Amino acid sequence: MKKAGYVVLIILFAGILAKSCLYVDKPQQTTKTIPPHSITEDIIYPDRQKNITIDGVDYLQSQAPIGKFGGTLVASTIGEGPKTFNPFNSKDNISSLLSEIMYDGLLSTDAITGQPIPKLAKDFTVNGDTYLIHLRKGIKWSDGKPITADDVLFTWQNIIFDGYGNTSIRDSIVVDGKLPTVRKIDDYTIEFKTPKPFAPFIRMLSSPIAPKHVFEPAVKKGKPYFDTFLSTNANPSTFVTSGAFRLKEYVPAQRVVFERNPDYYIINKNDQKLPYLDKLVYLIVGDVNNEVLKFEGGELDTIGLQGANVARFKELEKHSDFKIYNLGPDTGTMFITFNLNNRKDEKGNYHVDPKKQRWFQDKNFRQVVDYAIDRKNMVLNIANGLGAPLYTAESLNSIFLNKDLPAYERNLEKAKELLKASGYTWSKKGHLLDQYGNHVEFDLYTNAGNTEREAIGVMVKQDLEDLGMKVNFKPIEFNSLVNKLVNTLDWDMVIMGLTGSPLEPNGGKNVWMSNGTLHMFNQRPADYTKDDRYPWEKEIDYLYTQGALATDFESRKKFYDKYQEIAYEEKPFVYIYSPLRISAIRNKFKNVYPTSLGGITYNIEEIYVEDEK
Amino acid sequence: MQIFIYILKRILQSIPLLIIVSILSFFIIRLSPVDPLAELRLNPSVSQETLQKETERLGLDKPIIVQYGKWAKSFIKGDLGITSNGEQVSAKLKERIPNTLLLTTIVIALTWLVGIPLGVAAALNWKTPFDRILTVLTSIGMAIPSFFFAVLLLIFAVKTGWFPIGGLTSSDFLEMNFPQQVWDISHHLILPVTVLFTLSLAGLQRQMRANLLDVLDSDYVKFARAKGLSEFDVVYKHALRNAINPMITLLGFEFAGLLSGAALTEYVFQYPGLGRLILEAVLKSDINLVMASLMMGAIMLILGNLIADILLIITDPRIRVKA
Repeated sequence: MKKAGYVVLIILFAGILAKSCLYVDKPQQTTKTIPPHSITEDIIYPDRQKNITIDGVDYLQSQAPIGKFGGTLVASTIGEGPKTFNPFNSKDNISSLLSEIMYDGLLSTDAITGQPIPKLAKDFTVNGDTYLIHLRKGIKWSDGKPITADDVLFTWQNIIFDGYGNTSIRDSIVVDGKLPTVRKIDDYTIEFKTPKPFAPFIRMLSSPIAPKHVFEPAVKKGKPYFDTFLSTNANPSTFVTSGAFRLKEYVPAQRVVFERNPDYYIINKNDQKLPYLDKLVYLIVGDVNNEVLKFEGGELDTIGLQGANVARFKELEKHSDFKIYNLGPDTGTMFITFNLNNRKDEKGNYHVDPKKQRWFQDKNFRQVVDYAIDRKNMVLNIANGLGAPLYTAESLNSIFLNKDLPAYERNLEKAKELLKASGYTWSKKGHLLDQYGNHVEFDLYTNAGNTEREAIGVMVKQDLEDLGMKVNFKPIEFNSLVNKLVNTLDWDMVIMGLTGSPLEPNGGKNVWMSNGTLHMFNQRPADYTKDDRYPWEKEIDYLYTQGALATDFESRKKFYDKYQEIAYEEKPFVYIYSPLRISAIRNKFKNVYPTSLGGITYNIEEIYVEDEK
Repeated sequence: MQIFIYILKRILQSIPLLIIVSILSFFIIRLSPVDPLAELRLNPSVSQETLQKETERLGLDKPIIVQYGKWAKSFIKGDLGITSNGEQVSAKLKERIPNTLLLTTIVIALTWLVGIPLGVAAALNWKTPFDRILTVLTSIGMAIPSFFFAVLLLIFAVKTGWFPIGGLTSSDFLEMNFPQQVWDISHHLILPVTVLFTLSLAGLQRQMRANLLDVLDSDYVKFARAKGLSEFDVVYKHALRNAINPMITLLGFEFAGLLSGAALTEYVFQYPGLGRLILEAVLKSDINLVMASLMMGAIMLILGNLIADILLIITDPRIRVKA
């Protein structure tokens, strides 16, 4: 009798298990998360920092309210921590972020307008291909030596132009195979000249400047030595820096501690030297979950939030000591792209099956995919409502965004019309057939492990299958995917994302120029000489070249507006959405003026801690 | 003298083993389709020349066998090479080894100091309520997955605010005086040690209990009792000495685990130890770092076994005769 009871129990249990497995996994319609209100509301920004000369020293004066000195701000970085403290060697975001705190550049970027503003430079003038820069007089390195034109000349000539460390700056300023030139006019004046007008160069002037007396011996020892110079094992007290904070301590896998630079050149309205904070700490945390726990436990003062955490923290915000800011759409782009390649590999086989080539190379087909996907639904279900649908090649917070290109909803009717116009028909079973009777079936790849892209893939597949296409969605390992995209070129459609700059579209030339190394949708081999560009590819090539040559913002914007228009029309990339960046910071910090371009702590020298009552 | 020859023999025997281990690991890592440069390749601002330079620097342009040869040659010379970021592997390991040793030695010392007496006590009080309660407790200890337990404790720390949330030291560690620093580290260590301790205590206590029960049941113990020896002499002089032999073998394995035993817990607690370093290295296919850690694991295991064998020779005369 007892046995029978057990059997019944087990059957019941198994039944319940089976029932829960049978649940159909389909996206739910949710509207639960309301994004935090945007940063543009209720923030009154202070005036831009001004130049002011006191006793022969050219200071930069903060116009923000006067605060109190002292206190610590604890932020975090996810990952393994910095790989180097040498600003010219950094290849990863964390190393760059930390070296930017320690080393100022000649120029910086206005966090509100995105325009270049002076930093170590007192002022600058651009005249076509000539950049004349006046340095601040009387400002010093952290060891007391003055910052002069020699340091600037050395940094640009001997480190950057000579190809020391990470050469990405050098690579990005080569115009027609030639480097710009730099010339010292007097101790506080320096002149750069590009081989021909090249607008993106001005952004490069925000690269850090190195103290010549410290870096010169390292440069003389050669490139291999320079690669290990100021590594993470170096003694922090040997660092000679120019930024608001200097390195105090680095504990591997735990934290980086900065202390205030007592002799910084930014002052407040009472002419006291900033920064207000005594210490700035970056905790090195391994993953997002731990970061969230640390913020909740009070060990962190500021954090970037994602997905479901936003809703939870929004609830907590009401009775907690922090405020959440919506910094607007991310700078990255996420898209579906098509393989428009019509070439053969070395063995004489087409990279892409010719019948598929006909589909992908048809503009109507690409527009069909665009009309068929339901961006709104994806934002709601995948990004928890914290995203903005994306239709343009430039990201939504780019200062070059073409605002005339309208958004639209999912439109299956329009998609079907376009398909009919291109000769597609439907079989009795509802399968989509092309004009030769082939069933439209292709592979859609993305990198496995990226849950967001995997979720997008599932929804794209469902959306396209509503039109009778057959989509084989295949998440594959990231490296294999990269190999397909840049080497073997045997793919049909891919969901990918790229990071972009909201300030400088020219950074995307590797993607958009037809000979670019990441021209994914029509990747050509490195030594390809035949001109088989599509007419619109040719036009984008022209626009990109001209856009870099023009120097003033307005005329540049015309070229980049046009390129976005072409991308919008031709759809080599079908953009999906941009996630919103949400950050939280504790209320005790004042002078916090978040912006979409700068984030929360771009004005770290002005931020201060108010006494807690 | 004999024992030195024995040790020498054992060391020589381990050389081919190490070679096989290194070849296997090297080829498995290299044949997996993980490309250390994949991230760079998809970065629009990285130029072709930079990629080329990186490929050459990491030696990825050469056939695997050549890469292995290069690695093996420098390994024998004692040079562990550089990580994919250009840092010295040995320096990287040196940063982390003390932290991991600190954690694992505390855990091992604690478990042995508590586990052995508890095992003995349970065996001596066989089938009493004391023994049963211990059995239930150790079953629970063995059943909880370590990472899950670690996460539970972390949430506990967040909710109560009694413990720091991971890490090893507080951010103002430098400004503290010595007693404060000791307290700070201990404070950070409590939770990870609790996780690892609960886990290994259960196994050790059960092993000890079973061994002692076996021995207590044997004829010579019965004989010793019949001879009229005091219970103390029977248990601690005769039974325990025999029951401890398998534990010494176990100690050898524990030694191997000194540097590699706590990766999951380290990861959850963001403990700056070797486990976290190696996990991150594997994900990035940082070959020199992964190889160094694998070889270190293999050498530690061989060493641990060797030490256990030598200890056995000392404690057990029967083995001495055979050797």
